[in-house]
Amino acid sequence: MAPAQRRPELCGPTPLCLPVPVLLESPATDLACAHCGDVCPAEPLRLAELPFCCAGCRTVYELLDDNQLCTYYALGERPGLKIKAVELPGRFDYLASEAVQAQLLSFRSAERGRLTLHVPQMHCTSCIWLLEHLPRLHAGVVEARVQFLRKEITITYLLADISLPEVVQLLASVGYEPQITLAELGAQPHRASHTLYYQLGLAAFAFGNVMLLALPKYFSFVEDLQVGFGRFFGYLSLALALPVLLYSARGFFRSAGQGLRQRHINLDFPISLGLASLFSVSTFEVLSGRGPGYLDSFTGLVFFMLIGKWVQQRTYDALRFDRNYTAYFPVAVTRLTPAGEQSISVQELAVGHRIRVRHQEVIPADAVLLRGTGQIDYSFVSGESTPVTRAAGDLVYAGGRQLGEALELEVVRGVSQGYLTQLWNNPAFTKDAVGPTLETYANRAGRYFVALTLLLAAGTLAYWGPRDQATMWRAFTSVLVIACPCALSLATPFALGAALRVLGRHKLYLKNAAVIETLGRADTLVFDKTGTLTDPTQSAVQYHGRPLLSIEKQLIATAAAQSTHPLSQRLARELATEALPLATCQEYPGQGLSATAAGGPALRLGSAAFVGASASRPEGAPGTCVHVALDGETAGYFTFRNVYRPALPAVLAALGKRYRLAVLSGDTDAEGPRLRALLGPAAELRFGQSPADKLAYIAAERALGHTVVMIGDGLNDAGALRAANAGIALTDTLTNFSPACDAILEAGELGRLATFLGFSRACLRAVLATFVLSLCYNAVGLTLAVQGHFTPIASAILMPLSSLSVMVMATILVRWAARRYQL
Amino acid sequence: MTIIFLLIGLSLLVALVFLAAFLWAVRSGQYDDAYTPSVRMLFEDEPIPPT
Repeated sequence: MAPAQRRPELCGPTPLCLPVPVLLESPATDLACAHCGDVCPAEPLRLAELPFCCAGCRTVYELLDDNQLCTYYALGERPGLKIKAVELPGRFDYLASEAVQAQLLSFRSAERGRLTLHVPQMHCTSCIWLLEHLPRLHAGVVEARVQFLRKEITITYLLADISLPEVVQLLASVGYEPQITLAELGAQPHRASHTLYYQLGLAAFAFGNVMLLALPKYFSFVEDLQVGFGRFFGYLSLALALPVLLYSARGFFRSAGQGLRQRHINLDFPISLGLASLFSVSTFEVLSGRGPGYLDSFTGLVFFMLIGKWVQQRTYDALRFDRNYTAYFPVAVTRLTPAGEQSISVQELAVGHRIRVRHQEVIPADAVLLRGTGQIDYSFVSGESTPVTRAAGDLVYAGGRQLGEALELEVVRGVSQGYLTQLWNNPAFTKDAVGPTLETYANRAGRYFVALTLLLAAGTLAYWGPRDQATMWRAFTSVLVIACPCALSLATPFALGAALRVLGRHKLYLKNAAVIETLGRADTLVFDKTGTLTDPTQSAVQYHGRPLLSIEKQLIATAAAQSTHPLSQRLARELATEALPLATCQEYPGQGLSATAAGGPALRLGSAAFVGASASRPEGAPGTCVHVALDGETAGYFTFRNVYRPALPAVLAALGKRYRLAVLSGDTDAEGPRLRALLGPAAELRFGQSPADKLAYIAAERALGHTVVMIGDGLNDAGALRAANAGIALTDTLTNFSPACDAILEAGELGRLATFLGFSRACLRAVLATFVLSLCYNAVGLTLAVQGHFTPIASAILMPLSSLSVMVMATILVRWAARRYQL
Repeated sequence: MTIIFLLIGLSLLVALVFLAAFLWAVRSGQYDDAYTPSVRMLFEDEPIPPT
């Protein structure tokens, strides 16, 4: 058994924003598997002189070789994916059901079917190549197209030649098993909205043409032209600007209207006001034959602001920030009926049903264990990777993954009513209850802006009214026209959009740019313990008991290496000695293993009851224990305790100076003193917290007026992540599951959290500085406007100048902040 | 100078053709995936071997 499976290095061109984590490890042997690049065991399997680490890899190579698809190996360096050792027959049978197909297929005719599947494993050029050459592996597949950034493949196949389960089986057989979950069944793959592109194209078209038509008005040497054609140009400009008003600018009006209905003035309100007055003043001027009006400024404004929207909306396609338990739970379960096994959809599962859960399958609902020994890995729920043992009669919570033998369970609570899933019934998960998380600076600025403009407009009316009627109207409309805070509205998207990309390069992926503002204003940080502060892949192994002879150590290491149990694997890696030929070796699932070697003692390794140790758990020993008995005599025990991530002390010390810190843990308070030392005396430490407790704690903190950032990793943090102003999910591998959140941080970068938060604050200062700049432009404009000197030409100069300088300044300030923080 | 009407009409027509081309490109999904085609175009076109 090869130790610690890991992905080979990145091959091919690096994907733009989704680096695959590379874990370096010194090779144990010098032979790398020709398929996946993993280290081969001492006696590798061979095919045509090429070494392979396991039978699965060799099978894939044979398959590709037979179909002349070995270009796969030429494009990238050992791109292959490891095949799961256990292939359950009938695993994809549920896909044959008509109801499932109706939900999955995006197109279906008498001969053809088409569907889009999510394949998170794809990571390089080779993957794209092989997946798009799928028709060579099976004639029934007509076409396969990859959308790399979304990690999706669209397959068209002939219904007569291949069935849906066979298509999925084909993908699985080359190592790209698609992820089909409950969430995928509900909704068709999300298609990018084209509306913004249409709006942008239309605005750009109108802007360019209207600008040309407005030129004669501005230059004296073409005055003749203006005299002869002014009216024609005016009408033409109006015709071009009308679709911009009706279609391109629709979003601003709609958002302002929504704000007003909620009795809330956002930044889009002054924008809409400005756009509306620009257009109506221009229409009046054109129709009354006074000139072309401000239509060039109007179309230009809309164009620039749409660019701002576009910059802000570009996000990470392949990452999903909105996943709940349905994205993780299986689509189908095996139900045991008197008539035999039957594959049913999880939604049909009801209380009282008997189900079978096999190795590596997820338990879909809270259930009582009827038969078998549960070795349940709750790492997706709690972040704790050591499996929990459950015996017949125990209640098993949903969300765990069974390792080992098949289980028979009786469902006691429906899927959506389980201990874990009822978290999603909390009001925090209904969209409206969450409400606007934070009032953005831009909206607040917008409100003052509205008040100021209306005041000034009234002032001009009062001042000019008794003196000069004509000037009064010109000044009044000019004030309303200049009220469009275009530059102001561009500051936030450009500054935060640039910051989003800077953070993305350092593996903090944000859902949208507004999250930066929340991070920059946070004052309370709440951490989950297991899996977040501790590293689930590491544990400190310690031996207590009588000293072991070297042959005994060798025996323990060799025997432990035979087992797939995570603790055995960890133990084998820790002891790492030469292998000893074993005479017998047997594993008892959920209990331990026994082994003998020629010339060595008889070993029993496992739980206290299994080895016959007197005390079930040594007093005061933290973490998990594995007991050792040699020749029927207890020798001692190994303890495994979680280790904190190495960067943690430094980052917590840095954060503690500025933020209120808290740790919410589902575990007992055994780790209390260590955490206290790490976090300092002021930090809040809470233990034995259920998922609902975590949510309630965050909600209470927010009610006290704090801005809370939650950092967690498992499904049990989902409520807290959702309730916090910003939830950051920590993940070891990006393609893996992460609960619904606002940001995804790669676990290795946790040590830079203080830098990221500092950078977010700097970005907010950059936004404020840009606000000041844009307000200066508005001040100049308003000064001209109240005097009645604001002409179309002044607008035509001021508007692009302010927009462009704001875009440039926002980007430069953020770049500069990034350099200062060494990002 | 009436030629101006014709000239402007023609230039608008040309611009409209480009606008239509852009809208068609968006509609046919060319802006959906800006990455995969850049990789795909580098693959060799191999003749499918006779089996």
